[in-house]
Amino acid sequence: MEIFLQQLVNSLSVASVIILIGIGITLIFGLTGIINFAHGEFLMIGGMTTWLVVSNGGGFIIGLVAAVLFVGLLGFVLERGLFRLTLDRPMNGFIISLGLIVVLQHFVIRFWNSYQKSIPEPLSGVWEIGGVQIIVMRAVVVLITAVVVAITFFGISRSRYGLALRASVADQETASLMGVPVRRYITGVFIYGSMLAGLGGALMIALFPITPFIGSTIVVRGFAVALIGGLGNVAGAVVAGLVLGLMDGLSAGYGLPEWTEAYSFALMILILLLRPNGLLGGTAGPRAV
Amino acid sequence: MSLLEVANVDTAYGAVAVNRDVSLSVAEGEIATILGPNGAGKSTLMRAICGLLKPKRGRIMLDGHDVTGLPPDRLAKLGVVMVPEGRRIFADLTVRENLRLGAYSREDQGEVEADIGRMESYFSILADKRSAKGGELSGGQQQMLAIARGLMARPRLLLLDEPSLGLSPLMVREVQSVIIDVRKNFGAAVLLVEQNAGLALSVAARGYLMQSGKIVLASAIADLRDSTLMRELYLGGGKRPPIKSRDVETL
Ligand SMILES: Nc1ncnc2c1ncn2[C@@H]1O[C@H](COP(=O)(O)OP(=O)(O)OP(=O)(O)O)[C@@H](O)[C@H]1O
Ligand SMILES: [Mg+2]
Repeated sequence: MEIFLQQLVNSLSVASVIILIGIGITLIFGLTGIINFAHGEFLMIGGMTTWLVVSNGGGFIIGLVAAVLFVGLLGFVLERGLFRLTLDRPMNGFIISLGLIVVLQHFVIRFWNSYQKSIPEPLSGVWEIGGVQIIVMRAVVVLITAVVVAITFFGISRSRYGLALRASVADQETASLMGVPVRRYITGVFIYGSMLAGLGGALMIALFPITPFIGSTIVVRGFAVALIGGLGNVAGAVVAGLVLGLMDGLSAGYGLPEWTEAYSFALMILILLLRPNGLLGGTAGPRAV
Repeated sequence: MSLLEVANVDTAYGAVAVNRDVSLSVAEGEIATILGPNGAGKSTLMRAICGLLKPKRGRIMLDGHDVTGLPPDRLAKLGVVMVPEGRRIFADLTVRENLRLGAYSREDQGEVEADIGRMESYFSILADKRSAKGGELSGGQQQMLAIARGLMARPRLLLLDEPSLGLSPLMVREVQSVIIDVRKNFGAAVLLVEQNAGLALSVAARGYLMQSGKIVLASAIADLRDSTLMRELYLGGGKRPPIKSRDVETL
């Protein structure tokens, strides 16, 4: 039991990063229909930003804030410069995102190198609670994610802006008739999703060393989470992230850890067969105008 | 000066031309109607007026200011709101959320709750169903919600595209009295597109007849009602019985 709980906290910290990615993916798809495969690279850039700040003598907190802001800015520039031009044909946005993967990876490799990068553990120490050993940094990652998820969730379900966002996901045209500036919401969602990816990158490098190639592994899991939860559904992404995290924990603790990835994809296939719209129901993309 | 002035507007979907040289006007607080057969281009013109479609040519003026080509969210802020064909209720949002969203463009967000109360006391069904999802309402209830949602913006001009579509005769009569009240109680001018000519003629003061994208007749409602063209159209089309003044009154 102790081992299981320990594994659970460990996998929850990984699930946290994936949930952060999944929320961005699901929000961007829900509003624009664009499958942004470069979203994992946004996370990688966030991790690299943190590494750059910390290895130049800045603190982790400064690195984290820098990652969130820089990746947010990147999302803004890419939305205005590229993705905006593809809103009528989301498939083109998807293709652009594939190209961006290469560009962003090679940008990092050219200016630095392709080796893995790490930072000293920002918070060291282990809590021992009833025989369960919890690595403090991992608990902090889970905590930060929980707070961000809660803010996102309440923002979407309670605020006026969240209401307008949900309406725009359902029917952009009618939302615009009600006065919602849908284009601005699209930009906003790109920025917010990118900031979450930046945060995910900073938290990830606080846990493990990362390479410029981390993005593709992460984005695939992020998509699994977005699909399992139901595209466009933030609560769904969170639930799916937790389910996958639990699966990881169980398989690492009891099953065969090398099959962890396979388990989660088997689960994804199973869920999508039973519930094609995901656990909590999703959208097929914005209504064609 | 008219509240809305449409001058020589052409519209098209890509290369397919729809409206040609359309001009019409709606005065402050007036109810005007556009009648015409299926595919005449009524909805397309409405889309151009509310900003969903950029006209190819011509101008759209609001209070004498050129608003041609402004996006719908800007026009909503200026008081032009459309209740679209087919109602387009947000099915997954509650009735209250639908209403609150209708007020998105307003500056006075503090008064939104009070206005929701007004809507709920006027459309009592919306009070009964306030926590139900929009998609759970019947067609008639959805139409009431769509109109109330449009009114939540406190529009100066409400564009109604076929509000009676698919409703029972009883519901159509309800829509009729709501349209009259939109003007009386809520102070908005109305531009109404209808297939149900009887309904349109009974509420509007001014009418336009549209055929193949063009306005073929523009006049005060009584003259429109008695025009030979109107009679021919609704007799000759074979879709609808001829309209007599009596029908209008007993509608
Ligand atoms: N999105 C579109 N793309 C291309 N053509 C369209 C589109 N929408 C409508 N049309 C065409 O434009 C013409 C006018 O359509 P519109 O919807 O304006 O007619 P309408 O007068 O509102 O008809 P109805 O009474 O049936 O609602 C029709 O010939 C229609 O086929
Ligand atoms: Mg129409």
